[in-house]
Amino acid sequence: MTSGETAVLLIRENLRGESHPERKEELRGLAKSAGYEVLAEISQRRGRDRKFQLGRGKIEEALSCGPDKIIFYNPLSPGQVYNISKEFDVQVIDRFNLILEIFASRASTKEAKLQVELARLSYRAPLVKVMESLQKLSERPGYRGSGSYDVSMYRDIKSRMAKIRAELKSVEDRGEKRRQRRRDLGFDLVALAGYTNAGKSTLFNTLTEASVTSKDQPFTTLTPTTRAIEAKGRRFLLTDTVGFIDDLPLFLIKAFRSTFAEIVDADLVLLVVDLSDPPLILRDKLVACHEALWDCNCYAPIVTALNKVDRLEKGEIERRIERIEDLIPNPVTVSAKERLGLEDLIELILEKLPPQEEFEITLPNSEEGMSHLSRLYEVAEVLDMEYGEEITVRLKGRQEMVFKALKSENPDTFRTKVSEVSHSEVSETSQSETSHSEVGGPGS
Amino acid sequence: MDVVAIDISGRHSVEGTYLMVCASVAVRISPEGIEATHGVKLVPQESTSLDLEVIVELIQKATEGFSGMVVAERGDFYNLERWRAKSILGRDLKYPESLGERKSIELAHHISFAGRNMLLNLGADLRPNILPNLLANLQDEDENTEEDG
Repeated sequence: MTSGETAVLLIRENLRGESHPERKEELRGLAKSAGYEVLAEISQRRGRDRKFQLGRGKIEEALSCGPDKIIFYNPLSPGQVYNISKEFDVQVIDRFNLILEIFASRASTKEAKLQVELARLSYRAPLVKVMESLQKLSERPGYRGSGSYDVSMYRDIKSRMAKIRAELKSVEDRGEKRRQRRRDLGFDLVALAGYTNAGKSTLFNTLTEASVTSKDQPFTTLTPTTRAIEAKGRRFLLTDTVGFIDDLPLFLIKAFRSTFAEIVDADLVLLVVDLSDPPLILRDKLVACHEALWDCNCYAPIVTALNKVDRLEKGEIERRIERIEDLIPNPVTVSAKERLGLEDLIELILEKLPPQEEFEITLPNSEEGMSHLSRLYEVAEVLDMEYGEEITVRLKGRQEMVFKALKSENPDTFRTKVSEVSHSEVSETSQSETSHSEVGGPGS
Repeated sequence: MDVVAIDISGRHSVEGTYLMVCASVAVRISPEGIEATHGVKLVPQESTSLDLEVIVELIQKATEGFSGMVVAERGDFYNLERWRAKSILGRDLKYPESLGERKSIELAHHISFAGRNMLLNLGADLRPNILPNLLANLQDEDENTEEDG
């Protein structure tokens, strides 16, 4: 964490565009989150300056406050970073770099550290390339002696990036295997997603009774945390993930692909929204979330948790929901802090998760039959069981999980009878009347 | 919400001409996806320029007869502000925000892309005559099927 450093914030607003005071607020929040003391905020309404992004006068005004760094909201090109740092002799970063600084200070696991390093290098690579070419302009050939050019730094960055990508690939594979193993154990996967500082970690803690760090600051969570929840006889795993932010650059999304994979592979996405945000900002943040989910190729059903309703009056809640109803699939109002609306939320999650069906299964009363029964206990909820010459089990679970648990290593030794029965059939039809279709192991 | 999503395929020059196909799909969407498709329309157009008037005219033709707000990628209207594009088009327009709107544009994109490929496979000589007739025939067949049904 950067501590004790001072900074001045600079924002360029488009000549024709609308004013966005929330951008200033967001940048201030990010700067504070990174540990900077903000000395001043300067904005200018003008077209983009090719050399400095803003006018020279505004940068001089910023420097008059004596900051350690100047932070731009607008993305800076490598040339602009070079020009400003050379001309004014000051450290300069933009919003993306600021986000990266926050990520770097909070990364605690090996995976997060690799992701941050990859993002940093992806950001630096073109910058270094331009810097090298600018520095070499007057020094060719023979730069650094023996007629060779110093291109090693750019090359080093590229090779380090390749190494990190390979390491992250193995992390991704491990994550994929872990999710598959959790699925095999009969768990449904639910991922929390939402704009940064929407209250995802607080909701996660409230729902799971966990103690994940949650603070009123952006990007508190960087590494996914997963906890199990059991509600109404159904078990699912809830994963807390990194928050989205508007205009997240593609390289950052790519670097955090293994984290976003938790969202992509989920059976349901729980989109958390801070309903107490001003309506226009709320809409912009929701659009950013939809865009990020689209970029992640997320096709899971979505439930929207409209959080922080304790800060609003009832009439205001309804008015706000009306204004954003085209962006909130399956909404439910909650307050994670005050524990409001949590039952409705769980109810809706269970309703939208892939359906569970009831099965009646007949197994041989043998050692192998008992081992299948044990596996069925792990992946489904056993409702009823009868022991006789054969074992008859009635259970409730996801079809693919039940069928997977029944797969026999040696299918010729026995055959398993599975029949799907609906709720009404179970109560109305006797066991002998139920038609049985044969579903066996791979060879049957 | 009922919307008309559009996408234009072929906004690049081939031997000096632009062979474009605009697809419009009238759909009912939810915030997260498409709930129902009411209709699909393909409009081909050969042009020597890519002026805004040409594009707007093509979109107007493609969306004619469908009710609902037009949803189009910002780039289709040369990144114009929404209010400006809306007044030039002469009907309600928005750029995609929700997943449902994005998915409906994706659907229109696949249709326009496939339509253009079909047009290219027909060959240059046949294009001007065959495609409108083909589309008209398809419409007639649909009407006959509905009557039979």
